[in-house]
Amino acid sequence: MSKEEVLGKKPLAVLEKIKENLDRLNEKIDIIIEIQKSSKETMIPDASLDVMTLLNMPDHLRKTAITICRNGRATAEEIADQTNRARAVESAYLNQLVTMGYLKKQRKGRKAYFYVDKE
Amino acid sequence: MNKIVAVHSYKGGTGKTSTSVNLAATFVKQGKKVALFDLDFRAPSLFAILECEKTEMWFNDYLNCTCEIDKCLIDLSVRIPNAGKFYVGFANPSAEAMQDMATKNRKWEERALQRLLSLRNTLLKEQKFDYIIFDTSPGLQYSSMNAIITSDFVVMTTTGDCSDVNGTKRMISAYYDIFKNKTGLVINKIIDDSLKSKSAELSKKVKETYKVPLLSAVPCFCEILKAEGKYIFPQDKPDHPFTKILAEMAAKIEKNELE
Repeated sequence: MSKEEVLGKKPLAVLEKIKENLDRLNEKIDIIIEIQKSSKETMIPDASLDVMTLLNMPDHLRKTAITICRNGRATAEEIADQTNRARAVESAYLNQLVTMGYLKKQRKGRKAYFYVDKE
Repeated sequence: MNKIVAVHSYKGGTGKTSTSVNLAATFVKQGKKVALFDLDFRAPSLFAILECEKTEMWFNDYLNCTCEIDKCLIDLSVRIPNAGKFYVGFANPSAEAMQDMATKNRKWEERALQRLLSLRNTLLKEQKFDYIIFDTSPGLQYSSMNAIITSDFVVMTTTGDCSDVNGTKRMISAYYDIFKNKTGLVINKIIDDSLKSKSAELSKKVKETYKVPLLSAVPCFCEILKAEGKYIFPQDKPDHPFTKILAEMAAKIEKNELE
């Protein structure tokens, strides 16, 4: 007895459809991974925290970025004091801005300072 | 409290420079120490208006990191005698300088923003200036947006022109996040004799239309046009109604009192 005869035609077609969709999903994931890789590579060296970049940022990141611009150099705690948000929140946003290539981070003892790279 | 004020507009010819110069002069007349900067690098105008004969360094040079701020600040206190201190940083009006400023890259603009932001420390904190006033370029320009982000207060000048009303409204709403809590609207060139009796109505209308409060309503004065941009009203025309409007505007900015 063939497979088709055991399962019937409909369930086999469904399985094939599922497989087809999974393949397509895999392709899409591969594309996303490639895009992320290339955007990370090109973004970091050229990233500049100019005013148009600030205007294009989502509100929550812009608030942190403008505050760090005004301070020049600050810890997450100092930024949190000015934005009235939790230190942990500011720390997460500041680290995100570092990953995006807009800020630099320097550790001094137990403290981490964030700043806009002037070079 | 010392402050940084940016005078901005959506369109050109709405009275930004006239407002900037005369607002600065109003503060100087009150005994304050004021620095006025021309940030309209595409079309510099303060140099001609204040009839500055010569300067070795321009505000462009400060932003280009080729000089410190003291070198490009020209002392024009003599223009408003027996008052405070009046310093001006001019934009270079030469074609080469305008071309140079029009072709800056984003990295340069990032640095320019840092240089503007550092004026708070060098001028307001260290040199005890009471006010820094930026006369900006109209519309969405790097230099103007840098000035707005740096400032504590934004004076938006507009007129009754429908494209100006529409553009100003859209600009404030698009960048409301950076304009909010610190913007006052100045409506210039109002042709309406009964302006005084309608001021409450106008305030309400402005708030509804622009979502920011009215700072001042300035009628269309022939004397402003006749002045060809050269009168410093608080000094040259102390009794003129425009001088009185400027004094009220200055008081509101000083107290941060907007309805």
